Parts: sequence; C-alpha cells; structure tokens
Amino acid sequence: MSIDPLNEIEAELNKLPPAVGEAYKEAAEAMETSFNEEELGLWAKEGTSIGTQTVRSWESAVEYYKVSPSVARSLAFPSFMQWARCGTYLAQDSPTLAVSFFRASPLIVGNLRPQYIPRWAGLGRSLYKGTWKSSTLAAKFFEVSPDLIRSLPFWDVEVFASLIESLSYKSYDVAVECLVLGRDVLPEMGREREAFLSMCRALTEGSWREVKACLEMAPRALRQIDEGQTGRFLKLGERMAKMGLRETSRFLTDGTQALAQVPEGAQTHILDLAEGLLMISPEAMPPFLKSLNGVLNRVTMSQLDTWFEHGVQLLKENPESGIAFFKVESNASESLLETLSSSLELDRVKGVVRLYCSALAGSTMEVMSTQELVNKNIGWVHEDTASTDGTKVFLPPIVDHYPNKDENFAWFKVVSTHQVGHLEFGSFRFRFDQPASVFEEQRRPKLEKQRAEQHASQMQEVADSPELETQAHAFTDIGRFLSLFDDRKLAFDLFTVLEDCRLDFRIKGEYPGIRRAAERIQIEARSGRPNIEELALQEAMVELLIHMSLEQFTDLQVPTEYQEEATMLARILHMLRDAAANVEDAAEATLRAYEIISRLTNEPEQEEQYEPEDLDDPGDFSEEEYESLLDKLKAGQEEGGGESGEGNPYESPEPVDYRGDFKPEMVQLLTKLQSEQGQDGEGEPLSQEQLEQLLQDSAELELDPEQGDANNSTTTFAQNIMKEAGMPPPDAKPGQGYGPQLNDGEQGGELVAREPKSYVYDEWDFRAGDYKPKWCIVKEKVLEEGDSGFYNEALRNYNSLLNHVKRQFELIMPETFRKTYRLVDGEDIDLNAALEAWCDLRMKVPPDEKIYWRRNKVLRNVAVVFLLDMSASTAEAIDEGRHTIDDRDAPDDPVEYMVWLRRRREGLVRRHYKRIIDLEKESTALLISALESIGDTYGIYGFSGYGRENVEFYVIKDIAESFSEKIKRRIDKITPLHATRMGSAIRHATTKLEGQDATTKIMFLISDGRPQDRGYSREGVEKEYAVHDTHMALLEAKRKNIIPFCLTVDKAGHDYLKEMCGDMSYEVLGDIWALPERLPMLYRKLTLQ
Amino acid sequence: MVETVDPQYKEYAIEEFLVRSEPYYRPIADEMEMFEAAYRQHIPVLLKGPTGCGKTRFVEYMAWKLGRPMTTVAKAGESVQEMKDGEVRVPLVTIACHEDLTASDLVGRYLLDADGTRWIDGPMTRAVKTGAILYLDEVVEARKDTTVLIHPLTDHRRILPVEKTGSIIEADDRFLLCISYNPHYQSALKDLKHSTRQRFISLEFDYPPADVEWEIIKKESGCTEEQAVSLAKLGEKVRNLREHGLAEGASTRLLIYAGRLMTEGISPRRACQVAIVWTLTDEPELQRSIEEVVSSIFE
Repeated sequence: MSIDPLNEIEAELNKLPPAVGEAYKEAAEAMETSFNEEELGLWAKEGTSIGTQTVRSWESAVEYYKVSPSVARSLAFPSFMQWARCGTYLAQDSPTLAVSFFRASPLIVGNLRPQYIPRWAGLGRSLYKGTWKSSTLAAKFFEVSPDLIRSLPFWDVEVFASLIESLSYKSYDVAVECLVLGRDVLPEMGREREAFLSMCRALTEGSWREVKACLEMAPRALRQIDEGQTGRFLKLGERMAKMGLRETSRFLTDGTQALAQVPEGAQTHILDLAEGLLMISPEAMPPFLKSLNGVLNRVTMSQLDTWFEHGVQLLKENPESGIAFFKVESNASESLLETLSSSLELDRVKGVVRLYCSALAGSTMEVMSTQELVNKNIGWVHEDTASTDGTKVFLPPIVDHYPNKDENFAWFKVVSTHQVGHLEFGSFRFRFDQPASVFEEQRRPKLEKQRAEQHASQMQEVADSPELETQAHAFTDIGRFLSLFDDRKLAFDLFTVLEDCRLDFRIKGEYPGIRRAAERIQIEARSGRPNIEELALQEAMVELLIHMSLEQFTDLQVPTEYQEEATMLARILHMLRDAAANVEDAAEATLRAYEIISRLTNEPEQEEQYEPEDLDDPGDFSEEEYESLLDKLKAGQEEGGGESGEGNPYESPEPVDYRGDFKPEMVQLLTKLQSEQGQDGEGEPLSQEQLEQLLQDSAELELDPEQGDANNSTTTFAQNIMKEAGMPPPDAKPGQGYGPQLNDGEQGGELVAREPKSYVYDEWDFRAGDYKPKWCIVKEKVLEEGDSGFYNEALRNYNSLLNHVKRQFELIMPETFRKTYRLVDGEDIDLNAALEAWCDLRMKVPPDEKIYWRRNKVLRNVAVVFLLDMSASTAEAIDEGRHTIDDRDAPDDPVEYMVWLRRRREGLVRRHYKRIIDLEKESTALLISALESIGDTYGIYGFSGYGRENVEFYVIKDIAESFSEKIKRRIDKITPLHATRMGSAIRHATTKLEGQDATTKIMFLISDGRPQDRGYSREGVEKEYAVHDTHMALLEAKRKNIIPFCLTVDKAGHDYLKEMCGDMSYEVLGDIWALPERLPMLYRKLTLQ
Repeated sequence: MVETVDPQYKEYAIEEFLVRSEPYYRPIADEMEMFEAAYRQHIPVLLKGPTGCGKTRFVEYMAWKLGRPMTTVAKAGESVQEMKDGEVRVPLVTIACHEDLTASDLVGRYLLDADGTRWIDGPMTRAVKTGAILYLDEVVEARKDTTVLIHPLTDHRRILPVEKTGSIIEADDRFLLCISYNPHYQSALKDLKHSTRQRFISLEFDYPPADVEWEIIKKESGCTEEQAVSLAKLGEKVRNLREHGLAEGASTRLLIYAGRLMTEGISPRRACQVAIVWTLTDEPELQRSIEEVVSSIFE
C-alpha cells in the first residue's frame, strides 16, 4: 500500500526532466519530519501534477519541491495543500508565475495567515493578463510580496495590488516601477498609508503618470506634516485628483512644504481653509498652498484669514482674478498683504498698552477691544472708535492707518493716551459745584437757578409730574449740567469738543514725546472734516470749534456776518488751552459757547459770505465783551421776532475718530451705580424706570428708532447697565441677595455630606462679614490611573533640569546643619571664643571654658500639600509668543545662572505646543522626584468642581500614601475639568495638613487664574466674593500654623493676588515655561526659611 | 600702655565723622520738626520708606542741623576740641546692617596686644560715648540677637551694657538711635519684632510728590528745570506700575541719576533707559511699557 503510490510517483517523475526528480529526492527526506506517509504521498503527487500542467511547468515543480520543506515548517498539512494547489493553478496559466510564487512563499507563509494565501496568490494572478509583460509584472509582484506582507496589513497589500493592476492597464513599465517603489515607500508610512493609497487610486483615473512621482515624493514630503494631519492632507490630494487636476505630486511637495512652515498647531486651520477653497475652486487651492509660505512670512495667522476671505470673495466674483490673487500675482492681493502686514493687532500689544495706560492713569486699567464694549450693549456702538468707561480703555482691535507697524503703534499710543487723559486730567471727575479755575465767573449755578424758576412757572401751567425727570437728571453731575440746556445734543457736542480740546492741549504739554505723532493725527483728522461753508450756521460754528481744537487756527472759513461771534468762540476756546484749566472750565466754556451758537439761526449761509480768517490770537476773553455780544444777539433775536427754534434742526458733527467716544455721563452713571452697590441702602437707588428715562434723555446715546421700539432698546440698555454695575435686576425677589447668577448656589441652605469621602465646609461671605455655615461639599476622589509613560517622559525631557534640582535639594541637607558656637566640647575650637579666653587668662581673669563649636543637626520636618488647579482654563494652549520672554527669568544666584544659561544654549527649553495643565503635570513629576530625594512628607491634590455642592478634590498622592507606580499613573490623568472654588479646596487641604505631625507645614497652591465657580463669582462686583473667600481660607490655614504660598501663571494675577493673599507670600509667574524650573526652587526656598 | 595703635583702627575713627557742609534736603511734611522734638526728648526714631526716597539723606541733614545749635549743650567729660566756625558737633555713625553683624561687631572686643589685651570699642559704643546719632541702616537685615542689643539704649535707661568689660555705658545726652527699614521688601519673615518696634517713633517716608520731586532732581542733578519736571512726572507714572509686577517704583535716587546723565549731554530717552527702565525690571513687557511712558514724556 505504501509502496504503490510512491512507485507511481517515481514513474510520474521519470516522465519529467531529471531536475524534478532530484529536487524531489532532496526534499523528500526533509519532509518526512513534517508529514506522515499518507500526507507525503499527497505532497509528492501535487508536485507531479504541477509538473504536468504545461510544457514548461516542470520548472515550477522543481521550485515546488525546493521550497516545500521550509513552507511545511510554517503550515499545517491542510493549509499546505491549499498553498500547493494555488501554485498548481498558477502553473496552469504561467509556469514563470508559479516559480515566482513558490520562490516567495518561504518568506511569506510565516507572516501571512494561512487563509489569506489563496487571496495573495489571486492578487498575483490578477496582474497576469496572458502577455509576456504582464507575467513579468505578476512575477515582480510575488518578488516584492515578502517585504510588503511583512510590514503592511494584508488589506493594504490588496489595495496596493489593485492600484498596480489599474496602472498596468496604462503602462506595464510604470506599474513595475511603482511596484518596486511601493515596496520601499509604503512600509515606512503610518496611518496615512490608507489615505495615500486611495489618493493614488484616484490618480490612476486621470493622471496616472503622477502616481510614480507621488510615491517617490511621499516619504520625504509627508514627514513634514503633523502626524494627525496627513490623512486630511492626502484626502485633499485625492479630491483634487478626482476632479482631474494635474500635478498632484507638485501639490504634494508644495503643499507639504507650505504646511511644514506653518506655526505648529495651525496646520489644522490651514487645512480647513484649503478644504474650503477646494469646494469653491479646485484650481485655486494649489496656488494657495504654494504662496502660503510667502504670505505667512508677512502676516500673522489671523491676518491670513482676512487675506483668504478676500481671495475667496474675489474667486466667487471672477475665478481668474481669484486664482491670480492666491498666486499673489495681483495688485489686490499684494496691496492687501501690504496693509495687513503693517497693521497692528491690539492683541499683540495689549499687555504693553495695558501697563502703559495703568502707569498714566495711576490706577489699574484694563485694555479691551472695542468689540467687547459694543457686545455689552450698554450704549457704546462704534466698533472703530476708542473709548473708556473709567476703568477700561477700549481700543479698536486692529490699526492699519499707516504703512508700518511703528507708526500704527504710535497711533495706538496717541489714542490710548487721549482716553487715559480723560482719567488723568479728570474729565469724569466733573462736579457741578466745583468752581472752574480759569473762568472767573461761575455761570452754572446762576443758570440752574434761572432754569428752576422757569421750570416752576411751567409746572404751574402743566400739571404733569416731572419729578421723576429732575431726579434722574440730578443723578450724575454731568447730567445735572447738561439738563441746563434746551438742546442737550448741542450742549453735549460742545462739551465734547471743548473738553477734548483741553485734553489734547494738556497731553501735548505733559507728553512732548508723542507730540509729533499726535500732531500728525490731528492734521489727518482735519483733512477728513467737512467744509465749514457747506454747513448750516450752528453746525458750521461747531465745526469751526472742532477745527480750532485740532490746532488749526489760521485760514479758517468764517462767515463774515458772524465774525464777531467766531472771534468770541475762539477766545472761549483759547481759555481752555491752559495747563490750569479743569473740566469745570470746559463746562463753563460750553455754557458760553452754547449761549452764542444756540442763538444763531441754523441755516446754510451763502458760500461767498465766508472768508478765510486767522484766529490764532483772538485776544483775551472778557466777560464784559461776552455779555455785550450776548445782548446784541438777544436783541437780534427779538428783532427777528422768534425763538432760536428757527432754521433746520441741529445735527451733530462728524465725530473726530482718534478721540473716540466720550461718554462722561455714562461713566459717571456706571461709577455711581457701582459704588452704590457697594454700600447698601444709602439713599434711594435708581430704579430701572428712572434709568430708562435718564438714558432716553441722554445726548450720548444714539437710539435708533428704526431698530425697533426705542423704548424697548432703552429697556435693554438699562438692564445691561444695571448688570454691568452689578445691580440685581428688578425682577429679583427681595431678600434673595446676590443676583440671579448666584441663585443656584443661593437657594437652599446648609448642605449635608451624605456620601462617603465627602466633607462639608463653611464659606466666607465678605459682605455679610460672616461664614455661610456648611455651604460647600468637597468630594474627595482618588484620581483614576492612566499610563506611567507621562511621568517617565517628563523626567526624561527635563533630565538636565531634574539633575540640577536634585542637586539643589540635596544641598538642603547640609544646610540643616547649623554651627553652634561656644560649647564646652565640639568639633573644633571657636577662634573668637578662644581668643577671648586667652585675653582673660592674660588679664588673670577666669576664662570662659566654652570655646568649641559643633554642627548641630536641625531636624527637617516638613509636610507639604500641593494643590493643583484643574479648572477648564488650564486647557488653554500656551502662547508660543510668550516663550521668547523667557530670557527674563535669569536666576540671580551665579550657580543657578550658569545652569540656566547652559540649558538655554542646549535648547533644552522646550518649544512645543502645550497646555498650562501639561506644564503643571510636568512640574509635578519633577517635584515628586525631587521630593523623594529629601524625604519630606508630601501630598498632591487637584481640585475643580461645579457648584458649591460639588467641589471635586482629587487625590493624586495622599499625604499618608507612599510613592508608587500608581501615583505615576495618576499624574497622567490630571486633566482640565470645570471651575475653581478655591476656598473649599484650601479648607480641605488644611484639614489634611492639620492631621500631620510636622514642625513646618506648607500649602502650595498652583493656579492659573482667579477663583471662580457657579455661584462663586460673577462679573461686576461679585468676583470679589471668590477672592475674599479664598483669602479667608488661606488665613484659616495660616492660623493653623500652615504656611500658604500661591503661585499663579496668570499674568494679570497681581491685581487680585494682593487681595487674595494679603501678607501671605505669592508669586506671579510671568513666563509659564519657567514653571517646571521655578516650582522646585520656590519650594526649596520656602522650606529653608 | 604703649601707644602703638593699629593704624587700621586709627583711621576707623567712626565717631569723628561729621557732616560738615549742609546736605541738601527738601522737607516734605513735618518730619524735621518731629525729628528735632524726638531728639530733644531722647526718643529713638524709626524711618520707614522705600529705597532711594531720602531716608539716609534726611538723617545726614538732621545731624548737620542739630549739630549747630546743640554745641552749647556739650557737657563735661566731652573731649575738648576747639569749635571751628560752622563745624558740627553731632557726629553721625552709620552702620549698614547685614546678616552676619554680631554683637561684638557693634559693641567692641578684646584684641591681643604685644604683652596683653586691649579693649576696642565697637562703633555703637563709640557713638554712645560721643553722643552721636547712630543710624542703623536696613535694620531688619541684622540678626535678631543684635537687635536686642539696642533695647536698653532705646528706653528710659539709655545705657549700653558691655558684658565683656563688665561695664555699663550711659549714653551721652546728645546720643540718638535712629534706624531705617523698608517695609516694601516682600519677605514677611524679616519683619521687625514688636518689642523692638515699639521703642521708636516712626516717621514714614515715601517718594516726594511730583511737584516737590522735580525741585530735588533739579538741585541734585543739575539738569534743566524742564527735564526735572519731566523726570518727576516719569517717576510718578512708573510708580503707578507697582501694582503690576514692578517690585519697587523708580526711586528719587534713580531719577536723579537719570538727570545727571542728562547733564552730561546724554539724550533723555537713553538716560532714562539705562537709569530707570533697565534698572527696574528684567521683564521685557514691563520694560517696553515703561519705555513707552518714557517716550511719551521725553521727545
């Protein structure tokens, strides 16, 4: 039975060329170990069947026998036979193919799951189309297969094969070349391979020649893009290919190069843009990417958006010019870039401007974009004009008046100086009863009395109730002043012009350094003014004043008939050009100018009745001349037989741009509302109705009736203003207290901790001056564990710093040994004491025998708790721009300085896109490692939360816990969560520390901003609540002998930290990159004291 | 006893330091009156104030001023010296305190001699003996044990016990202890103990208001009035930034330095940059902000 089949096979073999038999014999021995006899028979038989397929298939059979032993080692018999049969089929078609198949097999079978083998064979088969060239291709495929299969998932191999197949329809040569290229290129690719293949696939449809180029280009090109973005990028390429666009390989190189230059983290945005562009015009996208680099060299990312949008607009209107635009081959594109690159964004210089304004004003000033002010909807409407509300300076978000940045910055400076000037020179400090200083005669009280009498007489006639009105007007001093006039608008415009004139004069005197820039801006402002002679008379006179306030005193167009009045106005204005003039003088000047102008008939004069006039030296103002002019005007009016109401209604002049919005009444109103809010109950607070009335009368607001019901918008204003001032809205129930935002926290009373590991704490209410009992629940949770990789990597990244820190920490140990002098015995003789003893001996006085010194070990016994802020804001990316600032933190200590310097030279200061929390985490890792080296007791906790009933307190390392892998893994899971209710977290940490038996207890708070939480802080006055509670919590800790220390990375931290920490130590870290370095140093210093 | 005195110590004659010519001091409030009153009543004086606001200058000035009319008060036992015209008789002993200042540094110590020992008075002892104004500058820097030394000097006893010689020195009638300290330094640990603090009357100093400061700047630096006014204005503005990350405002001393540079013909902006901007802070943003203020004020 066993001999027969073998004989049969031998016979079969003999029919074939002898090489087959030899190969069989050679293999047969080796095969015996793998298969049993029956299987061997089948194996041998399959060989003969291969050999007999076609004339030349004996070659395949030889190859079959040759590789069988090694294949058999990897495959079980059934799979083996399956494989053999695949070979048989292939031999049927082409013996060459089968030979390649068998040759490749030993390297394949180990790496491919057996069930895929037939599919693999099928892939090769599919490339064979019966021609000689196709068989070479298919053979080549088998040849490269081992490499492909080893490093690619099988489905990618399949996709690649089908790509090759479709290429082969175009050109076998190209297909072969691509096949070989693919072998080299594809394994190196990561996730992007799939996208890349599908892009290539798309290319075969239209521009198949590109495929090869793409394959050649791909590895180098794709390396330049962020890993996460390659997929999207290739998708773009695919879509382009599908649209039949040529030069995909060019796109690949140009595009990746462009993206490589883009600031890190911005690639996503660029791809967004590119995708958007593709939807509009595929042709425009490659030029866009190509010119991207050049453009980004000139403008910032946000400016790029502007440029891009402009291009898109153009593209929609005219594709040709749109494409030229993106190529930066059009004037429009070039000039836009010119403007953008010279323009200055407020955000860039905000910090400097803020400090500049604060320095000038002498109080903390915030700088904000005008946009934010407009959004508040409290009466300011112009986005382009600067303004101030008394504590903030609002500036336009972008300046592009001049062709270079320095000049644009100078504009910012002049404008902000003018706005701060309102504060510095007291525009808002206007007091009705305060006397003016340059005008001797005070006309305001007189006029008010006069008005009151008039009013009283009217009152008798009309039995209305105007009480409301008077009360509201008297609410602010400016309001009281403006209510002296019938035409509030005219009065207010005059007041604005005259006050601005006074300010500009003062600023020029006080700040000669910006005089030149200011003059330039004034001259420019003048050129944009309307022609005086085209205006109605009253308006012309106001315009005349504006011109003079802009320092134009010569060649002024003055109506000949009213030359006397113009001269008088000039004299009034000149009174204000005096360093002694105050805001009340501006008011007096307004009053006088008003008396003159309001008596003129507001009708246009004939142009020829104007004549150029110089008013630079109009002479001194005198009350007598003014009176007589007034009398003349009054007489004229009576002759004319009418009131001043004749003529056209008065229209406000065009605003002077650089002076911005001047709203003294609003500022006074806001300040007053806010201060009233602070001290409850003194006087009747303003009701919303009164406020609305007041706003309606105010000349400062432009209530647009077309926008809908004017009343309605005043209501909104009033509500917003009250909100801004921190007043409870009218619908708040009495006794409810702190306004609607706090309702969540306010409702209900004491809380009870029901869950395990939750604790109840009081909270300090600074207005009540008492604790709210059992107000917050702190839930202690152990942070879940992540990967310890983060910890290890952080240590690796900061290796040199870590060594330095450790060294510093180790130095702490010797420092704890202090020399004790004057001992009876010790390590060595104390020279001073010995000398004295010697002297005593010489003087025959019994000497002191304490002449030794010794080092005495002072026990270091420190327990420390680190509190990490895990609020949502820590997710903020750290601005790369800030990084340049890190030059500043050069340590004073020479040793530290050297280390610092070396680290900087080595470029070890990391420059990656990071979040605040990442640095917090890294610092923690570093600190832990350093702390372990000195053996202080320490605990690390994170805190966050949402609302008072849910203050989350995460244990990263409990103070009693010892350091372990677990803790490394927990650090990984520190993530930005919700809000920051610092007070309760601090109280809980205090409890933790209290339980420790250490001589020095330290609480180290690391935060990124002011404390805030639902019901814990709110805009306006309420944010103080959180600061006060935190302060109280820190104070409680201090009373329990704990040293609190606050470290914040919030640059604006100085303003509230002072209040929050009081006399406790804190530090504001201006450069957040210094955190990992600074934190251990601070700790060291703190514990040494 | 052989009179071979170590020459080093001979030159050290600290108690003979007299303020001979009138120092420039511009009074701001009633501080002169207060100091004089305290001097007559033997009440020690504590001067508080930021660096470079004129504390030391004030003490110098008072030493000079008190010296002249006080000559009549000179008592027996005082070394007899001919009074030259205009010479001052209240010496000023200034000691800059530091961490390692020991009690014997202040009081005195025994020194070895060729054939014996010799006691050398420390500066404090000398001041007590000669009736000088003893000015301990930055007293918080000194070690706690040295500050205790001054306790018996500062109450009604006005004595200095010298433990080593076993003697007690009663202070001369003209002796006055005056200490200074700068409360703006952030370290809460280096605060003055209350037991020490409450032995003094305190005079608070601050930078003078701009309209006075310019006079001082002009007088001290010799710059033009316009420059002085601008510098004073700059000082005022920069001090506004104390809340915003600047540890200390620009001191009058710095403003004077800037003025002096201007007198030497250095351009005002540059003078302010080296004397004020770069001295005050290393933080680029803050530097830039102060520079902007400078460039607004100076052409």
